[in-house]
Amino acid sequence: MSKEEKGGLNGVVKTFRNLPGFWRASLNPWLIRVRNHPERLAFVLHRVTGAIILFYLLLHILVTDVPAYHHSWSSWQSLMASFNNPANHIGEFIVAGCVFYHGLNGIRLLLTEFFGVCIGKPERPKPPYIPPTAKSCQRKLLYAVFILAAIFWVLSGLIIFGVWG
Amino acid sequence: MALSDLKAATKVPPKEVTIRIRRYSPTTGKTWWQEYKIKPHRGMTVLDALLEIKAKIDHTIVMRYSCRMGVCGSCGMIINGMPRLACQTQIAEVATENNPVITLEPLYNFPVLRDLLTDFTNFFEKHRSVKPYLLRNDEAEREEPYDQYIMSPEEYLDIYEYSLCISCGLCYAACPVAAADPEYLGPQALAYAARYVLDVRDEKPEIRLKIVDTEHGCHRCHYAGSCSMVCPKIVDPAQAIQRLRHILYKWKLGMWRKKTARTASAPKVWKPRKPLPPEVKPVRPDIDYEAIEKEPVTIEVDGIKITLRHLIPTKADKMFGEERKRAEAQSS
Amino acid sequence: MGNASRLAIWQYITAIILIAVLTGHLIERFPPVTHQSYEQSLSPSTFYSRLKGAWGIGLLLLAYVALFHGLNGIRGMLYEWLPGRRREKVWDALFWILFIIFASIATYTVIALPAPTLPK
Ligand code: HEM
Ligand code: SF4
Ligand code: SF4
Ligand code: FES
Repeated sequence: MSKEEKGGLNGVVKTFRNLPGFWRASLNPWLIRVRNHPERLAFVLHRVTGAIILFYLLLHILVTDVPAYHHSWSSWQSLMASFNNPANHIGEFIVAGCVFYHGLNGIRLLLTEFFGVCIGKPERPKPPYIPPTAKSCQRKLLYAVFILAAIFWVLSGLIIFGVWG
Repeated sequence: MALSDLKAATKVPPKEVTIRIRRYSPTTGKTWWQEYKIKPHRGMTVLDALLEIKAKIDHTIVMRYSCRMGVCGSCGMIINGMPRLACQTQIAEVATENNPVITLEPLYNFPVLRDLLTDFTNFFEKHRSVKPYLLRNDEAEREEPYDQYIMSPEEYLDIYEYSLCISCGLCYAACPVAAADPEYLGPQALAYAARYVLDVRDEKPEIRLKIVDTEHGCHRCHYAGSCSMVCPKIVDPAQAIQRLRHILYKWKLGMWRKKTARTASAPKVWKPRKPLPPEVKPVRPDIDYEAIEKEPVTIEVDGIKITLRHLIPTKADKMFGEERKRAEAQSS
Repeated sequence: MGNASRLAIWQYITAIILIAVLTGHLIERFPPVTHQSYEQSLSPSTFYSRLKGAWGIGLLLLAYVALFHGLNGIRGMLYEWLPGRRREKVWDALFWILFIIFASIATYTVIALPAPTLPK
């Protein structure tokens, strides 16, 4: 971890780079122990789910290409038959959950980051000193995202495991 | 929300607390944990505890502090896993009778020079890089202003929150992006950029928008909001960055034009003052106060005598700009 | 300096498109709407009619847009994880190469899909 740091003091003092690093920052939502701070968890989940969906999407494009590539449907049917097992269903279930969370939270991020709404209004700091970000409607949206994603996830589980439909 | 527990100072801290400090020695390049036990008093802050350790137990621990009242922004450190100002954190807030251990670490995302002392060179370099000052079309006027910029109370409130920043670096230590990317401008610099882009007195927002529109600028922020949650001055950088980003996108799509402040000139001719009500009688009639007022004041500093002109305003003091220069040239 | 917002704006535009197209794509496998079981909705005939019909264009759009969005997201993460002038050029190149490869595979799938001959 110890590394010379460029800056005004370079070469004079040996410094210690105190960086938690990419993996800890993007995988551990409790890296900074702040109470009542779901946005950090939302950020980590958004990243992780985004990466999982991308991985799935690349596989999905390759698998979908099978009948066109072989110019026949028999390979497709044997492939689909081989996918019909519990391990694969669990994988599908995980990807489904990722899509629901990522999509719903993505709408929240679109509103806040792109359209600049739901982020609260600047105000004069006054007791009990809660930043507008923590009071604004994005917080409520985030709880809604968590709840809706959980509901959709359960429903998708019922469908994937053949309980419903 | 570093100040969330407003009643902390009234609480009784545990009888004895253990302070665990993550230390670093630049000569050996080693880090280690060291523990100190102290008996806190009511109202004691973490900074007080550190100073007590420094005075009575181990004078080799190094930290930075100055104002001891949350104004200078030097004493930021990680207290029990959360970036906080040591001088604004009560012992009673972070230690309980059941768990009387306080862990102190140097701020994350900063190079550590020694013990709790971190190097802010790059941090201030980034702050400087967003041009944190008013940019005006008329630069000569900016340097030597003789007019006033008109700003409504609403426009002032729009940026007031962001202008409270004390550059303590807590937000930078909390940010998950800064934790990975040392080139990321960081919440503090970006909030400052937003503060000037939104300021109606600033006339060149494009310059600053171009500075933040890089791969390591405002696009790296993912609205994790940790910066706002730890900021001791409730600057809310997360909100400022999202507003900045929204403006940047609008500007890029040609849908944003800045509303800038006009200037209001000071009146060229001063009206005669209204006469003041008659003064009350002097307390001691034997002293001529007016004569004293006109007497030059002589101060002795290091053996050198300095004589000050008495402080009754001259005619030139009431003029502005060119007029004043002419008047001063005339009188001298 | 000052051009990173182009890709960033596309990240959000693709997200807006994704909301519509991805929802449509998910509904395709939602039994109460399709009146088919979850497994049935993958049969060759359904699959063929879906990709070759008007909705095929929508699915192709979904592939392009999702690829751009996902790969650009990963590109951003790489910028954070391993920054540096030379490496960043590699990430940009990797992004476009992967995008073009997978977009062409998706295009090929839709164009060259044979009609199903096997019984259902
Ligand atoms: C309804 C559909 C979707 C919406 C509304 C959406 C929205 C978003 C938004 C707004 C961001 C930007 C986040 C930020 O910069 O903080 C993002 C990032 C990302 N998205 Fe999506 N997305 C959707 C679908 C997808 C899909 C299908 C994939 C995978 C192919 C994907 C992969 C990613 C990745 C990898 C990131 C980068 C995450 C990061 O840098 O932290 N998204 N998404
Ligand atoms: S924004 Fe807040 S936390 Fe960040 S440097 Fe300024 S005062 Fe400190
Ligand atoms: S909102 Fe942006 S700047 Fe603030 S902690 Fe999160 S990623 Fe960092
Ligand atoms: S000592 Fe000045 S802010 Fe703590």
